[in-house]
Amino acid sequence: MNNTILRVERLSVSFATEKGRLTAVEDVSFSLRRGETLGLVGESGCGKSVTALSIMRLLPRPAGRIEAGRIMLENTDLLRLPAADLPGLRGRRIAMIFQEPMTALNPVHRLGQQVAEAVHLHRPELDDKAVGQEVVAMLKQVRIPEPTSRVKAYPHQISGGMRQRVMIAMALAARPDILIADEPTTALDVTIQAQILSLMRDLQAETGTAIIFITHDLGVIAELCHRVAVMYAGRIVESAAVETLFRSPRHPYTQGLLAAIPRLDRTPKAPLATIEGTVPALDTMPPGCRFANRCPRVMERCHLAPPPLVEVGEGHAVACYLYS
Amino acid sequence: MTAYFIRRLLLIIPTFLGITVMVFVITRMVPGGPIERIIVQARQMQSSLGMAAGAAEQRQPLSDDQIARLKAYYGFDKPVLVSYGQWLAKVLRGDLGTSTRYYDPVWRMIAERVPISLYFGILTLLMVYGVCIPLGIAKALRHKSGFDNTTSVVVFVGYAVPGWVIGVLLLTLLASVWEVFPLGGLTSDNFPDMPLDEQIMDILWHTVLPLTAYVAGSFAVMTMLMKNTLMDNLAADYVRTAVAKGLPFRRAVFRHALRNSLIPIATSFGNNVSVVVSGSFLIEKVFNINGMGLLGYESVVERDYPVVLGILVVSSLLFLVGNILSDLCVAVVDPRVRFE
Repeated sequence: MNNTILRVERLSVSFATEKGRLTAVEDVSFSLRRGETLGLVGESGCGKSVTALSIMRLLPRPAGRIEAGRIMLENTDLLRLPAADLPGLRGRRIAMIFQEPMTALNPVHRLGQQVAEAVHLHRPELDDKAVGQEVVAMLKQVRIPEPTSRVKAYPHQISGGMRQRVMIAMALAARPDILIADEPTTALDVTIQAQILSLMRDLQAETGTAIIFITHDLGVIAELCHRVAVMYAGRIVESAAVETLFRSPRHPYTQGLLAAIPRLDRTPKAPLATIEGTVPALDTMPPGCRFANRCPRVMERCHLAPPPLVEVGEGHAVACYLYS
Repeated sequence: MTAYFIRRLLLIIPTFLGITVMVFVITRMVPGGPIERIIVQARQMQSSLGMAAGAAEQRQPLSDDQIARLKAYYGFDKPVLVSYGQWLAKVLRGDLGTSTRYYDPVWRMIAERVPISLYFGILTLLMVYGVCIPLGIAKALRHKSGFDNTTSVVVFVGYAVPGWVIGVLLLTLLASVWEVFPLGGLTSDNFPDMPLDEQIMDILWHTVLPLTAYVAGSFAVMTMLMKNTLMDNLAADYVRTAVAKGLPFRRAVFRHALRNSLIPIATSFGNNVSVVVSGSFLIEKVFNINGMGLLGYESVVERDYPVVLGILVVSSLLFLVGNILSDLCVAVVDPRVRFE
């Protein structure tokens, strides 16, 4: 258990909307071990990104508010950290890369300048020349061709995949313990996506950084992650090691998700399985299990109270009354 | 990019010709003009010199021959495009002609007013940029606070009320009711007898009210432009990236969001070269300042065409050059903009 670097405990986050405060993330708990990649998977709006932004303390204010829970980075509760300490946390201990490499870089600053800023912030002992060398080394590490000339380029002069590499270089500049990747490959085409994923895998092997990888793509999870937590409508419904989850999914939602993936060994051109219905809106969340209205195996008690996350096997937890 | 700007500079020529031809033709077509003024003057002299001629003999005071000579003198005897050609040839030699009213060279009349335009123009610019940009930043960072709302009300009232109305209000309140500031002009009567420091103070004292009237109207656009673009940029992904990499929020604002927010402001920055001939004749009239605005207004009303055209030459050239300078400013602050 000492291996755990980050523990999110019973996190609840709410947002101010026109319909009042709505809970976007409820009672979410998971942990991240050193050097592992944890996948956080779920459909759009299920609270993955909100969870990630909460860890970074980057929730949009004053709309977003953390209602309850703790986020323990080793022995520090990040939610109790004074605002003045946050710049020392961000980038240095926990870094983050975002979905849109097109807009995540400042369009009017040179690439080298933007990476150098990160190096300079967290390693103030380096002089300008050393920072410059470090920047080139970082760009080389993320496999950017001709890094010495690329430092002078502006973001609009390079491709989306290259920009995401620059983002990764910037995020890794201070050698953080944890890297949160919020759908970093969603905006890229498939071949570039594969390159970025293999780059992240290689970098993790080199640096030992723990990664929280947020995605809605189960294929990416299978390729990259050690463990995975499935989120649905603001809650974690199942978490397990990747092999376990893909081999024996327990939660009806996870089962539905996996059944909906096209496979080569199924009858070609047969209709794909789908999950009937839609996710309830945040302001009409049922008091019980949030998946109840779409669940093929719904029971009476599912409508009464949300099912707790219970251990059903080695490192495998499910929030479903079928198993408790 | 150099090729682009050379092309733009060359395009000034046809644009300039178009502007001046148009105004030149209009000056020929509208009623009034130096000859009619001279006729009116002659008639007045006639009637004041003696009723001898009698009211019944209210006839043309000048002979046809005299009128023809006047027409030849002012160049009205030739077709409009020929006169335009002659005028243009003189302009190209640097001669804007002489005023038909004061018989002074137009160049000198304009040059006399330039210091006043520059004085108020530059002060207004300094006030507008120096106050609006920081104010816009402060308002963006404190969006919807009491400070933001109060300043918005002030700024928009200033925008809604025309500058010269504000001038009249200020004069009535601060120069007439409370006599804090002078009623107008740029200097006091005993100005020549003052020592230098008092002279400076005297000019500044006379400057406060007209400057306020000038600045009030430009405040809203610039402040709100700054505020809104900065707010857009504060919500931009790259600011979140900057904070995520460990930059304190304020430094992220000043290092990352601010430069991007200056891009829309740069789109009009080059046009500030026009301060050389700036000045609102209404504000100048209210405060009794002899500036470029008043000169332009009076020359139009009095049909003093050489002055009208002279001011047009200077202001249109400055305007055209200003547009190119603005493009250059945008290219400087925004590396994505490259003119081909």
